[in-house]
Amino acid sequence: MRLFTRIASLWATLFRKARLHRELDDEIRAAVDTLAARYVAAGADAADARRAALAAVAGPGGVVRVKEDVLDARIGAGLDSLLFDLRYAWRGLRKAPGLTAVIVVTLALGIGANTAIFSIVHAMLLAPLPYRDADRLVFVWLNRTQVGYPRGPMSGPDFGDLRTGSQTIASLGGIWASSAIALTGDGPPEQLRAAFVTTNFFQVLGAEAALGRTFRAEDSARGADPTILIGWDLFRRRFGGDASVVGRRIRIDDRPVTVIGVLPRGFRLLLPSDASVPDHLQAFTPFWPDLETGPRRNLFLRVIGRMRPGVTVAQARADIDAVGARVTRQLGNTRAFTTVGLQDDGVREIRGALVALFAGVGILLAIACVNVASLLIARAAARARETALRLALGASRGRLLRQALVEGLLLTALGIAAGVFAGYAALRMLLAIAPDSLSRIAASRIDVPVLTFTLVIAAAWGLLFSLAPATELLSADACGSLRSSADASRVWRRRDARGALRGHYGVGRYRTRGALVVAQIALSLVLLVSAGLLVRAFVAVARVDPGFRADRHLTFRLAIPPRYETTEAFNLFAAELQRRLAAIPGVGGVGAFSHLPYDDLPNWGLPYSLDAPIAPDAPMADSRAISAGLFETLGVRLVEGRFFDARDADPRNPVVIVDDMLARELWPGRSALGQRLVLNVGSKNVRVVGVVRHLKLRSLVDNLSPQVFVPWPIAQRNPIAYVVRTADQAIAPSALAPAVAAAVASLDPRLPVYDVRPLAAYVESARSTRRFTMVLAAAFASCALLLTCVGVYGVLAYGVAHRRREFGVRRALGATTRQVMAHVLREGIAFAVAGCAAGLAGAVVASRLLQSQLYVVHPRDPITYAIAVGAILVGGAVACGIPAYRATRVSPMDALRTE
Amino acid sequence: MGKQQTGIIKGTLDLLVLKTLALEPRHGVGVADRIGQITRGTFQVKPGSLFPALHRLEQNGFIHGEWSETPEGHRAKYYRITAAGQRQLAAEKRNWARIVVAIGQVLEAD
Repeated sequence: MRLFTRIASLWATLFRKARLHRELDDEIRAAVDTLAARYVAAGADAADARRAALAAVAGPGGVVRVKEDVLDARIGAGLDSLLFDLRYAWRGLRKAPGLTAVIVVTLALGIGANTAIFSIVHAMLLAPLPYRDADRLVFVWLNRTQVGYPRGPMSGPDFGDLRTGSQTIASLGGIWASSAIALTGDGPPEQLRAAFVTTNFFQVLGAEAALGRTFRAEDSARGADPTILIGWDLFRRRFGGDASVVGRRIRIDDRPVTVIGVLPRGFRLLLPSDASVPDHLQAFTPFWPDLETGPRRNLFLRVIGRMRPGVTVAQARADIDAVGARVTRQLGNTRAFTTVGLQDDGVREIRGALVALFAGVGILLAIACVNVASLLIARAAARARETALRLALGASRGRLLRQALVEGLLLTALGIAAGVFAGYAALRMLLAIAPDSLSRIAASRIDVPVLTFTLVIAAAWGLLFSLAPATELLSADACGSLRSSADASRVWRRRDARGALRGHYGVGRYRTRGALVVAQIALSLVLLVSAGLLVRAFVAVARVDPGFRADRHLTFRLAIPPRYETTEAFNLFAAELQRRLAAIPGVGGVGAFSHLPYDDLPNWGLPYSLDAPIAPDAPMADSRAISAGLFETLGVRLVEGRFFDARDADPRNPVVIVDDMLARELWPGRSALGQRLVLNVGSKNVRVVGVVRHLKLRSLVDNLSPQVFVPWPIAQRNPIAYVVRTADQAIAPSALAPAVAAAVASLDPRLPVYDVRPLAAYVESARSTRRFTMVLAAAFASCALLLTCVGVYGVLAYGVAHRRREFGVRRALGATTRQVMAHVLREGIAFAVAGCAAGLAGAVVASRLLQSQLYVVHPRDPITYAIAVGAILVGGAVACGIPAYRATRVSPMDALRTE
Repeated sequence: MGKQQTGIIKGTLDLLVLKTLALEPRHGVGVADRIGQITRGTFQVKPGSLFPALHRLEQNGFIHGEWSETPEGHRAKYYRITAAGQRQLAAEKRNWARIVVAIGQVLEAD
């Protein structure tokens, strides 16, 4: 294309001036030399000749002036011709605002979807974790597959085994996001989300403190001064960003603790979502000194390792497995580990979906660009006479092509502008509904790499579709189109009634685009069916009864400070608080719960057995402590027996409530009431007083493990969550918050209330990943449907434009409006039917891949398929409408006049 | 660019340059020589005022410059006309013919 050499030349003029200057100097010097040589030959002496030559070449302004004039001339000429083409293209677009709008919106959809999805892919899959040499970080789980936990926390001694036994791991750190700690002094009391860490934890991650330091080995030593490392947000909010807080003592849980440092702004722990380590911890404290000698039963440590340089994850895994095998031999007790790369594991659950989505948006953009090409070709066809006229008047084909290209690139530029804007809006929306478990998604933004990606793909596609009308422009010949289009009508006459297209003039191209449209329809159907199934699965999950009510419930947490250390004080406090909360006007029920449903606290599991002693690989039950009144407040269904009440406060007579899953397993066909079982090592028999329906507390769709409920506060769990139910529907749960805080403060003004939120919010969070995929799929399918309709429209519009004469003749021969319309509609429907047939096959395959996401919905759910096909047919009919209408507007006279 | 075109009707310099180069490739001094020669000295063009015109035509893709040796052994940038330049020359010739006819008619109408 000449256009490119022009642009390249203009580019050189504007941005590579030095080279141009050099060349110009050479050229001027050459001219001077030539003239001077001529004067010398005529008899002048060398110096005079040179002076005269210089004057002749450069004139009065001198060489500098000449060079300036040349540069001006070049830039002016370059801009002029570009501006002319741009102006012409702009006028063309302005003349057809409808078409321009359709094209820009089409491109904006395609480009916007790609921009938004790529920014997510970039943040989640491509960008490294924000830690030094993040690809050398591994996460190590204790693998207890035999009891259903392939990815669980490990004990202190396990950690010690790995630290001393592994060859490939340079350093190993552990963390336990245990509980909240109370910060008092420097303002109102407050609960901080805190974690214990090994002193090398931040070195393993490669994170430095922004102020002060991170931990050193001596901070965990016996008798060491208590120390704490705080996060940036807490530092700004609580301590006003005053750096002198480092080195100061603050009061944590009523003890003085020295602040040793502040973590940098934006520091986040991006550990696997099932590690139960919240990514916004506010404070860190070092582990107790004898961490590695604690009991092997206490599984709580989440472990990251930094591999030695050059070690692969597979090598580290083999090495750690070998340590596990060695320890197993020594202990006679299975110890196995699961080692995963930290970088990959964080996106384990969403990687497939993201890659599929990314491929999907690529196809979406392809559909969009095929559409634009199709529309541009249709318009070029409609302008065939104008083109022929211009050719006849002496315009070159190159010139026509160049204009087509400039017009296409102008459209691309508009599309990119609109697309980046749409992508930004889409990304904002996606981030707003993104589930918390996808913590890295929050880092998605439209930055330079994303914009570069957008520009490159959009420009590549823009070039392709800009040149698409070339087929029309190059085939147009000056006489052909001006002469009657007799050939054309001859061809179109040979169409048979079924709508198959035959003939030679343009029909090959028409058929290619027809095939593309059929493919588009098929793809849209696949997407529509997939999205439809996901929507139905989401609805089904939303209807799942978790076994408790969440509609009228407010929750909050308390961390009971050490001043209630004695059992008497603790019990007294618990009883009094329960009484005061229940006395709040508008409160219809109160209960305490060690874990809230779907919260991010580490799970407590207890091994269970009918008899002591408990085998080392005994199955685990999900264990939660509940107060009397909790199950009544939550509306839990009792299968048999009773809920906890005041009788259960006697520690000498331990009781338990089990779920029906455990009851069926241990006492099949018998009543569980009064039965005894052993929970945990060394504990006494406990008596079953009640059986409840299994509660879906960890997952809405799976029954993970059997559950046991022990009475609180006998089983002291700290922190503890309270659930308060409103007395009637009219009161919003959150309206109770001030009264609840006041009730706690009336009992102990130094006790902070935290995590105040409706129970419904926790249930909502359990559905958020599913809702996220559903919204993505639905948005995606709608775009595809819309674009496909545009595609159908484009192809039919092209067909109608080419056949104006035919329709005119038909009208002249007496065809009614209805007949002409039906004629065009039939063609559109033929595309839709062919596309649906192909798409159904694809949808069956795709839905099988989706099966794991579908919950109870059958992959070949007939309703979903019917709705999807219906949507395609309706969309197709609408898309046919405009060309069909246009075909009926061809007047017989109009068609005959052009002969 | 009126000032460099002493003696040359505005807008005709490009036509003259293209016409000159249509015969054979020349360097800047050569083009100036040739214009003076074929107009029998009616139009005297200084090489300095030729450079902007040459570069404008090159930017437009009508001519293309390449370094080469003169018969006397100097290095010089030789310009040759391109296919686009040939078309442009034809268009400008037609244009010029129309102007000449039109101006002639205006003058004769006196």
